[in-house]
Amino acid sequence: MNWRRKDLLDLEVLSADEIRLVLDTAVSMKEVLARPVKKLPTLRGKAVSTLFYEPSTRTRLSFETAAKILGADTASLAVAQSSVSKGESLLDTAKTLAAMQVDLVVIRHASAGAPHFLAENLSLSVINAGDGQHAHPTQALLDIFSMREKWGDVAGRKILVVGDILHSRVARSNAVGLSKLGAEVVLVGPPTLLPPEMDYLGVRLAYDFDRELKGADAVMMLRLQLERQRSGLFPSLREYNRLYGLTQERLARLGPDGVVLHPGPINRGVEIMSAAADDARSLIETQVTNGVAVRMALIYLLIGGGTADVVA
Amino acid sequence: MLWLKNAYVVDPIQGVSGVRDVVTRDGRILLLGRNIPADRLADGGEMEVVDCTGKYLFPGFVDAHVHLREPGQENKEDIASGSRAAVRGGVTSLICMANTEPVIDNQALVELVVRRGRQTGLARIYPLAAATKGLRGEELTEMAELQECGAVGFSDDGRGIQNGEIMRLALEYAKITGCPIVSHCEDAALAGQGVMRRGRAAAARGLAGIPATAESVMAARDVLLAGETGGRLHLAHVSTRGTLAALRAGKAAGWDITAEVNPHHLILTDEDVPLTNSSFKVNPPLPSAEDRESLLKALADGTIDMLATDHAPHTWEEKARPFAEAPFGMTALETALPAIWTYLVRPGLLSVERLVEAFARRPAERFALRAGTLRPGAAADMVLFDPDYEETVSAERMASKSANTPFLGRTLRGFPIKTWVEGRLVFER
Repeated sequence: MNWRRKDLLDLEVLSADEIRLVLDTAVSMKEVLARPVKKLPTLRGKAVSTLFYEPSTRTRLSFETAAKILGADTASLAVAQSSVSKGESLLDTAKTLAAMQVDLVVIRHASAGAPHFLAENLSLSVINAGDGQHAHPTQALLDIFSMREKWGDVAGRKILVVGDILHSRVARSNAVGLSKLGAEVVLVGPPTLLPPEMDYLGVRLAYDFDRELKGADAVMMLRLQLERQRSGLFPSLREYNRLYGLTQERLARLGPDGVVLHPGPINRGVEIMSAAADDARSLIETQVTNGVAVRMALIYLLIGGGTADVVA
Repeated sequence: MLWLKNAYVVDPIQGVSGVRDVVTRDGRILLLGRNIPADRLADGGEMEVVDCTGKYLFPGFVDAHVHLREPGQENKEDIASGSRAAVRGGVTSLICMANTEPVIDNQALVELVVRRGRQTGLARIYPLAAATKGLRGEELTEMAELQECGAVGFSDDGRGIQNGEIMRLALEYAKITGCPIVSHCEDAALAGQGVMRRGRAAAARGLAGIPATAESVMAARDVLLAGETGGRLHLAHVSTRGTLAALRAGKAAGWDITAEVNPHHLILTDEDVPLTNSSFKVNPPLPSAEDRESLLKALADGTIDMLATDHAPHTWEEKARPFAEAPFGMTALETALPAIWTYLVRPGLLSVERLVEAFARRPAERFALRAGTLRPGAAADMVLFDPDYEETVSAERMASKSANTPFLGRTLRGFPIKTWVEGRLVFER
C-alpha cells in the first residue's frame, strides 16, 4: 500500500494497515542506523522545522537526527528564543515557516489540537510531537515498533500502561494504536489519575497493578509529574511507589518474554526502581534508537516517496 | 398605523395561538382580532397594510442574558452593534451583563449603558449591575441606587460568587430592590483549568474537563440560600441534571427561583466539539447527551422558565487559537431563534407556544420589563417570522462585530423577516 496522508496528527484516523506500513518502513530505517555511514540522500533539499512550545530535548533531537540522516535540512524554533515570547500567534509563526518554504513542521504544544490547527491552516506537512494530554503518535509508534521487534507481533499480547493515565498523551496514543493491532491494553493507576471516562478508549481500566501483572507481556511505566502530588491527586510518593512502582519483584511476575517500556525521562525510585529500569528485559534504551527509526519512516512517508521501499 | 393581516399570532399571555390581524397606532398595539373590518379603522390616519399570510407574528423576543462588551471591549461588540444583531435575530429587549471593563458596578456606568441603548434606538437595553464590586465576590454593590439608575437585576456573571456568605448577603440585600440576583453557578475549584464538560468526549480530546458538579454544587447552594433568605434568585445558563434537581426541589418548596437555558445547550453536546474550532468553547460547556435531553424536558415542562442566549462575542484573533487557549463564549443573538426553530421547533421538540412563553413572556415578567406580549395597549415590539426562510450563517452577514458561532456555515430554516420596536420597522430581511 502507499501512504497518502499529508500529516501525522494522531493514530485514531490511521488504519491498522497504515500503522503497519509505518512500522515496516521503520525496519528498513533501523538498518540504515546500524551502518557506519548514517546518511541517505533521499530527502536532500527538503526542509524540516521543529517547533517546540514545551521543553524537550530528547524528542526534538530524535526528530532532527531522523531528518538529517535522511538528508533533509533542519531548523529548530524553541519558544524562549523566538518571537513566540513576543506574543506572536501560533498561526502566524506557522505561516512564517510556510513562507520559508519548509516542507514539514514537527510541533509539540501544551494545547491539545495545536498540530491539527496548523494542519488545517497550512499546506505543508505536520507531525504531532505531542499535544497537551491528547496524543503523542510517534511515541506510540516507536513503543509498538519496539514490542513488535521483540515478539514479531503485538496481537493477543497483554500490555499494561501504568501511572498517570489522566494526563498522559502517551497512554492515549498507545491504547489507540495497540488496540488497532489486536493487543489487549489495560490502563492501570490510582482512581484520581484514571477517571472512568478513560473507558472511551474501549480498553479495561484497573486500580490493582499486582492483580493485572498476571499474564502481562509488557508494562509501560509512565513518568509521574511530581507536581501532581501538590495538586492533591495522590497522597505521597511513598504510597504511589508502593502501589504502582515497578520493582524487581513485580518485574519477575511478567510473562516469559515480558518487556518493560518507559517513554522517558525516567524518575528512578518513583515509578520505576533502578534495578527494573536497568534489567535485561527493559527496552528503555532500545526505545530511543527505535524512536529515530520510526521518525525517519514517518518523515520519509510524509515528504519523501510515499512508498515503503526506501533503502533500495 | 400598521395593519398586519392574516398572521399566525402567538401570544401566551392572552392565550392566543391562531390566525389574527394586528393593528398598531402610535407605537402601541391597538387591536388584535380575527378579520378586523376596515370600517373599525376609519379615520385612524395613514395605514400601511402588510399581508402576513403563512407567517408568524410574535411579540418581540426578550433575551435575559447578553454580553454587549461596552464599555471597554468594543473590539468584540458595542451597544450599537449588539442592538443591530438583536433586532436582526428578533430580539427587541435584552438584558446585558456587567462583566465589562471596567465592571458595571457603579451608577455612572449603568446610566451610560441605558443612555447608549436609547441613542441607538433599536432593541431596548436593560443593564444588570454587578452584585459585588469589581466582580470580586467580596463586597456588595450599591444595589438600591443602581436600580434607580436603571439596573434590572444584579449579577457577577462570568464567574461564580465563591463565598457562600457573600451570596447569602446579596440575596438578602437585593430584597430592597425587588430585583433578582442572577447566579452564574461555577465552583472555581471544581472547574479548575477545564475547558469543556468532563466526560468521554473531553478525555478523547485530551482536554481538561469541567465536571458537571462545578455548576450543580453551587446551584444547590444558591437554591438553599434563596430558600433560607426568601431572596429572589435567577439561575443563569443551567446545563446539568444536578442543577435541575436543585431547581425542582427549590420550586417545589415554593421558593422564588427561576432559571434560564441557552439554545446551544439544547442543540449541541460535548460530542459535537471539534478539537480545532474554539467557537464550540463556551461556559458552561456543551453538555452530555443525557444532560441535553433533561434540559429539553425541563424547558418543555416549565422547570426551566426561559430561554436566553448568553451571546458572548469574541474577536477572530482571540478565537483563532488552540481550543484550551481561546476564551469561552459564542455569539447567539442572530442565530438563536433560527437555530431553535431548525433544531427544536421544526422536529417537534419544542412547541411554538412554549417558545414564545420562554423567550418573551417569562423573561419580561421575571425582570419586570414592559415587553413580551401583543396585548392591546402594549408597546408594538413585534417580529414577523417566516418559518420557511433559509439562510446560511455567514460572518459577512452578521450585524455583530464577532462571528464566533458554532452554527457558522450551517443553513438554518426559519428567520425573522421584519422586526418592529415601538411600531418602527428596525430590521427587514
